[in-house]
Amino acid sequence: MNFQLSDDLRMLQDSLRGVLGRHAGDDLMPALTELGVPQALLTEAEGGFDGSGAAVALVFEELGRAGASLPLIGAMIAAAALSAAGRPADEGAALAFADAEPGTRYDRGVAIAADGDCLTGRKTMVAGAEAADTILVTTADALWAVASDAAGLTIRPYPLLDDQRGADLILEATPATRLGALSDFDGALARGVLAHAAYALGGITAAVDLTLDYLKQRKQFGQPLIAFQALAHRAADLAVEVEQARSAVTNLAAHLDAEPALRDRHLQACKVTVGRTARLVAEESVQLHGGIGMTEEYALGGMIRRLLAADTAMGDADFHLERFARGEPAFA
Amino acid sequence: MDMSFTADEIAFRDDIRAFLKAELDPALARKVRLHHDLTKAEMEGWHAKLQSRGWLAGNWPKEFGGAGWTAIQRHIFEEESARAHAPRIVPFGIAMLGPVLQKFGWKEQQDYWLPRILNGDDWWCQGYSEPGAGSDLAGLRCEAKRDGDHYVVNGQKTWTTLGQHANMIFCLVRTNATGKKQEGISFLLIDMTTPGVTVRPIVLLDGTAEVNEVWFDNVRVPVANLVGTENDGWTYAKYLLTHERTNIAGVGFATAALDNLKRVAKSQRHRGQPLSDDPLFAAEMAGVEIELMAMSTTNLRMLSAAAQGQAPGIESSMLKIKGTQIRQRLDALTRRAYGGQAMALTLEGNEGPDGADGALAASATWLNNRKLSIYGGSNEIQRSIISGALAKG
Repeated sequence: MNFQLSDDLRMLQDSLRGVLGRHAGDDLMPALTELGVPQALLTEAEGGFDGSGAAVALVFEELGRAGASLPLIGAMIAAAALSAAGRPADEGAALAFADAEPGTRYDRGVAIAADGDCLTGRKTMVAGAEAADTILVTTADALWAVASDAAGLTIRPYPLLDDQRGADLILEATPATRLGALSDFDGALARGVLAHAAYALGGITAAVDLTLDYLKQRKQFGQPLIAFQALAHRAADLAVEVEQARSAVTNLAAHLDAEPALRDRHLQACKVTVGRTARLVAEESVQLHGGIGMTEEYALGGMIRRLLAADTAMGDADFHLERFARGEPAFA
Repeated sequence: MDMSFTADEIAFRDDIRAFLKAELDPALARKVRLHHDLTKAEMEGWHAKLQSRGWLAGNWPKEFGGAGWTAIQRHIFEEESARAHAPRIVPFGIAMLGPVLQKFGWKEQQDYWLPRILNGDDWWCQGYSEPGAGSDLAGLRCEAKRDGDHYVVNGQKTWTTLGQHANMIFCLVRTNATGKKQEGISFLLIDMTTPGVTVRPIVLLDGTAEVNEVWFDNVRVPVANLVGTENDGWTYAKYLLTHERTNIAGVGFATAALDNLKRVAKSQRHRGQPLSDDPLFAAEMAGVEIELMAMSTTNLRMLSAAAQGQAPGIESSMLKIKGTQIRQRLDALTRRAYGGQAMALTLEGNEGPDGADGALAASATWLNNRKLSIYGGSNEIQRSIISGALAKG
């Protein structure tokens, strides 16, 4: 048994930390691209150079810790799925993934339906849709590719909780290419869930670290807050849950390429554990800070919003708990 | 044992309901339900409607122009108003300053300031917390130095809710820096249009700016604006905090949030059925509803004891903890009911899909209501009050 990163991945981690320390905002994505981060998320067959669970977990945990808000997950899912369908995207094409629908928690095909090779309906909370050339769209049981300039497609953008740009897609008899049954792309989708979970894990550790710093530094009644046992024990409880979340991410990363039934149990357990921890840390880190934790100016606010979004994306803790309990596959 | 309302109380409730039905604009109620920011005019307009019925200050004795309601009547009013999504009465003048002036103010102060609260001449805000004095409120440092017939105030206050609308602020200031920290605090009324007062908004993590920082730079305040006596302000502050906590359980707000959650759960699809039919989610909703049923009675038991003259002790701290836990749990469930849709804060004026405004409100409310367990004495402070009393008992 060995939980260490390979030498290649350790080098990637070091470089990534360096880039995240030096770049932010609009400069960040070009720097990550130059570093080869998007290719690290894809297998050689998909045009990348890694695509392993370990690589995906590493990259997104670092991005989550740094609080980088980039549409990388949708692009990764879409690139892997297009490749699996034998239709790899043009190099440099911007890709997005549209899954959530209005009026339902996570049902697919409630607000959208296919008629021949056209889609009509609505998708919501689509990260990166505005800038995408191609958007992959789920229906009840299939995955489709839609060109962003396709007829009958309206994109209505707005900011997401995690500071990305999101959008509603309104499709009116929009021409689309059916890539296959949704279950044919479970590997690409599982990688997406791992990415969201690892991103949340990075945010969880950052929020807990910031909270600990604050408890040590903030004084009330003549003592640092960490000297109050009631607060110190809650910080200790958070530290315990962070380790549980890390193990859940490790489990999924290690089983990303396992046989589907086993992979899906780890996937569901991972999203449940990380989602619940994200909610707990979001609540407790604000509470342990007090009022300052609610201000936009302080770093915690953005962390909290990103944690909520990461729990919500691609099935929250409730969704995956139910499917785990019922013994259902993650995607069908 | 008789848990039913009396005939008079039922008549009172029906009166309130009829008023809300006739006077509450549905568009305003919708804004309240979706936690949109209300304008100053909307809040003042609602106050004026209530005052036209003599209901603005339900907690004030009739001699001061209030409605003189019993604790049970106030509970009924608050619950009915919350369930109808009526705007909340801005508490700073009515619920906080009013009772302090009535108990500790000079006759001239009562005669001048109380009518102005009722008719909306003044918008009050609260200057209690400071950057270095939150839970440890008595550690406050904003100082007032006597200079002839004025105090000169220097320092900073923070978390001043709706201070952007206010022309007056009641402040705890330090008038004596020696001795026990609680014994050098005074309660001062400050005109915010005085030179040297600066108000800066604090943007919160839901994007709103309902709280402010207030700075005082050599602000001259007439000595006549000192409430009661110098260095006795901590007594008044504690009295105010007990009044701030009379509706601390927030039963009405929780009931309204539960109504909203049930409506959302009916509207959202889950595995092809309404989410409200899902046994897992229904059990979660039932769990919090059961807690609310018990808390509602805890609240009434404590109100009833208070009405019979028992001094409020740790009960208000208990209600604050349980009430905020229930409301935050309801907020979390409402977000969860929307699943993958609960990822945005604003649609930037785009016309959203059906239910999108509800999903937005759910995230914004979740974020904003983190304050419930922080303000008015954090839940940790309440636990210390309870455990301190239990240890003594």
